Amino acid sequence: MNGLIRLEVLRVLRNRKFLFFSVIYPSVLFLLVAGTADPTATLGGTGLTLPAYMMVSMASFGALTAVLMGNSERIAKERENGWVRQLRLTPLPGRGYVLAKTAGAAVGALPAIVLVFVVAAVVKDVRLDAWQWLALTAAIWAGSLVFAALGVAIGYAATGDAVRPITMIVYFGLSLLGGLWMPTTTFPRWLQDLAAWLPTHAYAALGRAIEQQHAPGVRDVAVLLVFLVLFTGCAARLYRKDTSQA
Amino acid sequence: MTTTDTVVFDRVTKRYGDVRAVDDLTLTLRPGETVALLGPNGAGKSTTLDLLLGLKRPDSGSVTVLGTGPREAIVAGRVGAMLQSGGLMGEVTVAELVRLACGLHPRPYPVPDVLARAGLTAIAGRRADKLSGGQAQRVRFALATAGDGDLIVLDEPTTGMDVTARRAFWATMRDQADRGRTVLFATHYLEEADAIADRVLVLHRGRLLADGTATEIKASTGMRRVSFDLPGGTPDETALRRLPAVTAVSVSPGGTVRMRSKDADATVHALYGLGFYPRNLEVAGLGLEQAFVALTGTEEAVAP
Repeated sequence: MNGLIRLEVLRVLRNRKFLFFSVIYPSVLFLLVAGTADPTATLGGTGLTLPAYMMVSMASFGALTAVLMGNSERIAKERENGWVRQLRLTPLPGRGYVLAKTAGAAVGALPAIVLVFVVAAVVKDVRLDAWQWLALTAAIWAGSLVFAALGVAIGYAATGDAVRPITMIVYFGLSLLGGLWMPTTTFPRWLQDLAAWLPTHAYAALGRAIEQQHAPGVRDVAVLLVFLVLFTGCAARLYRKDTSQA
Repeated sequence: MTTTDTVVFDRVTKRYGDVRAVDDLTLTLRPGETVALLGPNGAGKSTTLDLLLGLKRPDSGSVTVLGTGPREAIVAGRVGAMLQSGGLMGEVTVAELVRLACGLHPRPYPVPDVLARAGLTAIAGRRADKLSGGQAQRVRFALATAGDGDLIVLDEPTTGMDVTARRAFWATMRDQADRGRTVLFATHYLEEADAIADRVLVLHRGRLLADGTATEIKASTGMRRVSFDLPGGTPDETALRRLPAVTAVSVSPGGTVRMRSKDADATVHALYGLGFYPRNLEVAGLGLEQAFVALTGTEEAVAP
């Protein structure tokens, strides 16, 4: 079991393309969005500067990329090429595969989060208390579990060919509508109301609450928990269905 | 406690839609046996192995492996299995995969031993997803034999191996069997079944058609090959066909006659009675391959 986790982590670290998209890309995107902005002006009603606001968005986006893409695509491909079946012929307990995958994805997510923070602090002078940095890292990292579960569900629902387009639609939809790329305040009213119920919106709001030194919003925590239960439930169901027919 | 049977199928049926891939199958494998599972394509070999390994559940009947359910036996590390097309993990080396398999096993063998036994030492550093078919097959074999178990299940294990690799592979399997393990393998290569298995199961349309040693199965068809030369021109084929118990006749232009007979004694006796003077007369049993074709009544199983 530990051996499998170790290997999954190694694979993530060895996959340069994946590392680029999950670790480097969010920081690059952060610089593009926050680069030209006035670093002192605060963003409508939040009391946060644009770099501080976008830092949480992009760190969340990076973690989302790592866990969602990492899980869905790999699980679907490995179901198709027979590795999942091969593993079922070893004494590995049934859930070990999913746990190891999620652990590997989580290891990819941590550097993505930290790199965005470092870039924001060094290049855009974002300043927070030490406890805030730690709490942000912990909250964003832990929150990514919701999307790791979604990745597992997609990985067991989709075939090897369909998994990439499906993941992309979910990924872009959640990122864009959840306000990870731009504040949802630019959306029309009805879309803002809808976006407020998305797990990505709640996810970024969690981080922003820490920046604002607020307690996290009850609704945001509730939304995240409901989606965690929902995605985990779907993943477990699809996993059981897959194992009974493999 | 008496010795437990290694595998027990009790009236097992598995359907796919209207097709019964495995149809009321009952069989028992005992410790230390080396068993070949033969059958034409679609006979239910792979489904039988999947049921045995808990990858599929029977619609009715029960499968018991080493006294427990298949999944429990695998989790306990008592079953090693190698399937035809199990994919391998990407981005890791052969040695890392083998180390993983050893790490997952409750009673693992040392990694270098497993690598050496599977002939992988030289390619231990290669990436597991960039191997030739035969090499990947050897990696699957290493994964199946990473630890001390009681049963080894192999589905078409030597597909993609050259003759040398195949010979080395079976030498290793023999060694496993000599240590008291039960080995069950499905194969298309009838000569492998003949040479290696001490018991042959012939499966056809999901049913067990024959069960015995290779010799017994060859004899069970009751069919013999009769061949001889008839000097002095092309013999009268119609006369030969009318000989008792003959089921097939072929005559080569040089005057060599090959016949198949259900009762070779009667055929040869009548041959002389008709005034033929056969030279180089040979009477032999069928090969396993011919017996197999005779049993299943199909040619499709005669793979290269």
